[in-house]
Amino acid sequence: MARSEDARRVAGDSAFRPMLRAGARFSREASQRPILVFEDVFKSYRAGSPVLRGMNLVIERGEFVFVTGSSGSGKSTLLRLLYRAETVDDGRILFLGRDVARLTDESVPFLRRNLGVVFQSFKLVETWTVFENVAVTLEVLGLPQRLVRTRVGEALERVGLAGRGSDLAGVLSGGEQQRVAIARAIVGEPALILADEPTGNLDPQLALDILGLFEEINESGTTVLFATHDRSLLDVRARRLVVLDEGKAIDVPNGVAPAESEYEVEFAH
Amino acid sequence: MFSSGTTRRARRGMLREWRLHALSVFSLAVAFVCLGSALLVVTNLRALEERWAHAGRASIYLKDTASQDDVQALKTALAKLPAITGVHYVSAGQARTDFGAQEIASKAELAALPVEAFPSSIEIDVNAETTDAELADMVQKLRMLPVVDDVETYQAWTERLEKLVRGGVAAAALLAFVVFAAVLAVVGSTIRLALQRRKTEVEVLKLVGASDRYVKGPYIVEGGVQGALGAIGAIALLGVLFFVVRGRLDTELASLLGLEPTFLPWHVAVGMVVVGGALGATAALTSLRKLVAV
Repeated sequence: MARSEDARRVAGDSAFRPMLRAGARFSREASQRPILVFEDVFKSYRAGSPVLRGMNLVIERGEFVFVTGSSGSGKSTLLRLLYRAETVDDGRILFLGRDVARLTDESVPFLRRNLGVVFQSFKLVETWTVFENVAVTLEVLGLPQRLVRTRVGEALERVGLAGRGSDLAGVLSGGEQQRVAIARAIVGEPALILADEPTGNLDPQLALDILGLFEEINESGTTVLFATHDRSLLDVRARRLVVLDEGKAIDVPNGVAPAESEYEVEFAH
Repeated sequence: MFSSGTTRRARRGMLREWRLHALSVFSLAVAFVCLGSALLVVTNLRALEERWAHAGRASIYLKDTASQDDVQALKTALAKLPAITGVHYVSAGQARTDFGAQEIASKAELAALPVEAFPSSIEIDVNAETTDAELADMVQKLRMLPVVDDVETYQAWTERLEKLVRGGVAAAALLAFVVFAAVLAVVGSTIRLALQRRKTEVEVLKLVGASDRYVKGPYIVEGGVQGALGAIGAIALLGVLFFVVRGRLDTELASLLGLEPTFLPWHVAVGMVVVGGALGATAALTSLRKLVAV
């Protein structure tokens, strides 16, 4: 607890400075805006069957939001639009006030440096060590090696992999691989973490551990967008929930009620 | 041009896929050996042409009617010309004797040759700075003298050699074109294969905000290194072959060509390495036009 409070204080002291283009300056006005705004977003892969149909959504800084929906409802598409692996057909997606869809190709890397993305398939380079997989985020920024070593060490400690830097990523268990992927996502201290079914390949207990890790990250001030269709995760705590249905977002601000545990049910009776 | 991080990543990639890169370098070396051989032939032909062009000799064949006084007067006049550095009279008898000593073992065969086969002549050494035009002018004036039958400047041989060199240069240019195409194809395929094998790596790099330039950098370095190593390997192989052959046939080649064969000049060798590197890098860059889309 003390650690997360410290982290939150540190995050408050050094407010996120968006840099979507090289040389862009910090704007206090921009830092007051919602971190993410979807305005009338349309996206379709096939003519006549749009995945998103005029979707609207606003996410404030520091929120933890579950995105859920059935398979094919557009959860992954929504995230892919955010890190510009796809572009919207119509509408706007404002990340810190900037329209992601209208960024030039040269600006896309700068957008991605402000995001951390975690996938169900981990997307680790198996022939690289754990350290190399995490350090790549900082090496892209051109940080000096000494700083890279320090920050990677801190990130690995946060995800519970301290001292495992020299292990090859390919020999780790699924849960450990996902922790490495999370360390890679947070090491650059991004404003927003996008998690696309990050527990999909893990057993229920590991899934809960990973969710706990994302909650810790969120407590340090980072906004988390967590896409999942795993109902058991949504039940753990009452969190804001966005349900994608027929191409639109249905906002459930307080989420679903946590299920009562067996013990609570027994005591109640 | 490239950061230390780029070269480090390129080195790491090449070490991890050393078999693929070694195969590529070997293929390139074979291609460069062909080009290097052609350049080696052209270099030596050019040296031979140069040697013959500047041989600076001419033979003035005299008529049978030329008297000793005529010969002496002509020798004196020629010796005074600034373009001529040496004058030497060869009588018909001496010419026959010299020919017999060099070409024919049997005295009977030599005796059977007609008298007019060995005219007396004046051999002159022409200054190396004398131009072709000046030499032609001098020859024309000499031919007009009543005692002179003909003048041989060996220019016809030089012209034939020139044609041979031109043919060699054309063949080398054609080979260079083939080699360039081979380099582009081999390096391009290797890089595309490496890119496919490292698909996840590229995806990860792009996801964490690497620019296309950052992603492409190591592959371009790898392509350049492959091209340069291929050329270095070819030069090394040619060098070994050249010195082995030269060591055994040194005397024969020297007597046949009139000069010792030489290896590729250093600037040609360096040029091959630079061109190999540049071509490799270009091939890599071309094959990376379409990166893995993320």
